[in-house]
Amino acid sequence: MSDTAAMALRGLVKHFDTRLAVSGVSLDVPAGSFFGLLGPNGAGKTTTLSMAVGLLRPDHGDAFLLGYDVWRSPAEAKALVGVLPDGVRMFDRLSGPELLAYHGLLRGMPAETVDQRSRDLLDVLELGSGNRTLVVDYSAGMKKKIGLACALLHAPRLLVLDEPFEAVDPVSAALIRDILQRYVSGGGTVVFSSHVLEVVERLCSHVAIMSDGVLRMTGTLDEVRGDRTLSDVFVQVVGGRVATGSELAWL
Amino acid sequence: MALTPTAAPVAVGVRTFVRLKLRITANSLRGRTTRIVMFVLGAVAACFLAVLGHALFALPGLLDRPVMAGVLFPFGGAVLMLGWVFLPLLFFGVDSTLDPAQFALLPLRRRTLIIGMGTAALVGLPALATLAATLGMVTSVAHLGGLGAALAGLAGVVSGLLLSVVMSRAVISAFATALRSRRARDLATILLAVVAASIGPLELTLLGVLNRADWDSVEAIAAVTGWTPFGAPYTMGLDVAAGRAWAVPLKLLIVLSAVGLLVWWWSRTLEQAMAGTAGAGGRAVTSDSRRPVDQLLFRWSPRSRFGALTAREIRYWWRETRRRAALVTLGMAGVFLPLSTAFAGGGGQATGLAFIVGAIAPIGLANQFGYEGSAYATNLATGVPGRLEVHSRAAAHALFTVPLLLLVAVVTGLVADRPEAVAAQLGTLLATYGVGLALVLPISVRAAYALPDTSGPFSLSSGGGFSKALPGLGALFGALLGGVPMLIVAWTWPWFGLPAGLAYGACAYLLGAHLAGRMLDRRMPELLAAVTPR
Repeated sequence: MSDTAAMALRGLVKHFDTRLAVSGVSLDVPAGSFFGLLGPNGAGKTTTLSMAVGLLRPDHGDAFLLGYDVWRSPAEAKALVGVLPDGVRMFDRLSGPELLAYHGLLRGMPAETVDQRSRDLLDVLELGSGNRTLVVDYSAGMKKKIGLACALLHAPRLLVLDEPFEAVDPVSAALIRDILQRYVSGGGTVVFSSHVLEVVERLCSHVAIMSDGVLRMTGTLDEVRGDRTLSDVFVQVVGGRVATGSELAWL
Repeated sequence: MALTPTAAPVAVGVRTFVRLKLRITANSLRGRTTRIVMFVLGAVAACFLAVLGHALFALPGLLDRPVMAGVLFPFGGAVLMLGWVFLPLLFFGVDSTLDPAQFALLPLRRRTLIIGMGTAALVGLPALATLAATLGMVTSVAHLGGLGAALAGLAGVVSGLLLSVVMSRAVISAFATALRSRRARDLATILLAVVAASIGPLELTLLGVLNRADWDSVEAIAAVTGWTPFGAPYTMGLDVAAGRAWAVPLKLLIVLSAVGLLVWWWSRTLEQAMAGTAGAGGRAVTSDSRRPVDQLLFRWSPRSRFGALTAREIRYWWRETRRRAALVTLGMAGVFLPLSTAFAGGGGQATGLAFIVGAIAPIGLANQFGYEGSAYATNLATGVPGRLEVHSRAAAHALFTVPLLLLVAVVTGLVADRPEAVAAQLGTLLATYGVGLALVLPISVRAAYALPDTSGPFSLSSGGGFSKALPGLGALFGALLGGVPMLIVAWTWPWFGLPAGLAYGACAYLLGAHLAGRMLDRRMPELLAAVTPR
């Protein structure tokens, strides 16, 4: 494992029942990079990231976050990482401010710091520090924003975000992009998964492409892209059908 | 491309629904050993109960005792039917293998849907077990009155099963719809109270009569019950055997009109259930100028992880529909069960029933991690230690439950006119509650299962509702057994009941919480996977 890796995965394997979801993924995410994990639906991105941050126990393999083994010293590893899991419900019967306070206190932060940072985040993300609406009644974009706020609250050195731009309107997406870029230029590392190529191409310094549970390509954006567009590379690497034949004539 | 209309739609039959239910049940078992084991255990338990019930109902015929049958059948049948309505509310949750909301987009007539869902509800362990048990009545009347009586009995038993299923579905659907909207909770609370209170008078008369052992009036009440929808299906065969064949069409009419009314009611609420929660809307948004930490925590909460966890749990017990339903039902059962018996003049029984409340109370925690589903990932990602997790959840639950137990103890003591027994009663209640928690907490870690991602308060995930409730029921009986020593202590030395019960319950709780915490530390990711709906 190199010293500069913010996240290092070694031979992660996961079966669900009889299906092999992730088969032997090894990956190094350099510290200070903006890392995009690309792949079609069902490629194993969420499974991989869940194993990397300690939400899902791998069948084989190891995961290191900032040098700490997630499965052997979870407390140290988790303290330095902020996570936005996709498709995972938050404690959505709390209001936004309540949810942030909950996260902050669970992280062992002093109440004053929690209050200060929560208000900052709620104001910047335009969620309102006095807003009593329950998170369950938030729109999809607001849910992503409050999730991101929870992940940022303890000022982690590594952010792991699963599909942060899914179902987010363009204005919120721009805001999230700005926050993440600022975070990386301040020395943080972002790892995020997506299947929206434009976002990845615009933001990332490093890219990895997954399909069928296997890591197909990894490197800096320019290494992966070469002289083609990312979209061409993606389709070629992943394979699959991009045009219909004569089957849907009845449509 | 031109849009060509598809061929004329084929009518959807009942078989489609039944096959769909069987397929979903089978798929939910595939490749999951624990679930298969639970399912088999559930099937064995259902078989056992069915055989027991069959034997019980067949006994009067085999002994040639028509009078015994005349009392047993209407009462036994009515108890079964009430069980169909109340057991899902209290313990099991409704098997929502076929959730009406899933059919909302399909072009189905309401009629088709009702018939299909009703038939699918008949295909299941509880319905089969009930049928097998009540067929014992047919055996009885065949011995008493020959073939004609047996046929009438069979018709009665089958219509009785139909009525039970429809009643259960209708009542639960109505409650679910009522409790789903956050605004309607007050109305729902009142409704539940009315229903729970209506058991009171029934029990009162029954117990009052039984206490005096006045068999004439028991028979009279049985005869009257035989003319209500609860008893009518189960007395038809007896009527033929006793030469009152004219009663059969009348009773059949009673049962079928009851079924018709319930189906109508059910179809009304079903439509609302299909519309789902889309329009449920939030509450009026007001601004809160307090600091975020003060918004989450209560004034008296410690500013710590424990404080945050408990405060969140307390808010969840009230804000989450499934938990609120559990809490409201517990409150009703807790107050009305002992109260109604105490009024019936059975101070002793009231004490006994109150004792059961202490054991029922922890059941709400049997699948506590399932309530919030994948949101548990938050606690996992922030690294909450197992014991802290378990203690904070138990503390929040106790905050609601211990005052209830105190109320139960005071009410039963006063109504039974034994105020001096209140302290000892509270002691036994705390003892059973502690033992119950000790059993339920490890169960909640080991046997957690995902609840469907709806806000329907009584819904269980697909299939095997009965088998999923088994560990909780086991804990209930365990808590009752575990509380017996304290019951004896409280009877023998009433003054010593409270401290002994408190100490006993606390010790049991600490042991159970320690065990559950250790288990949780080892299996947090597995627990998250188990409660994540797929």
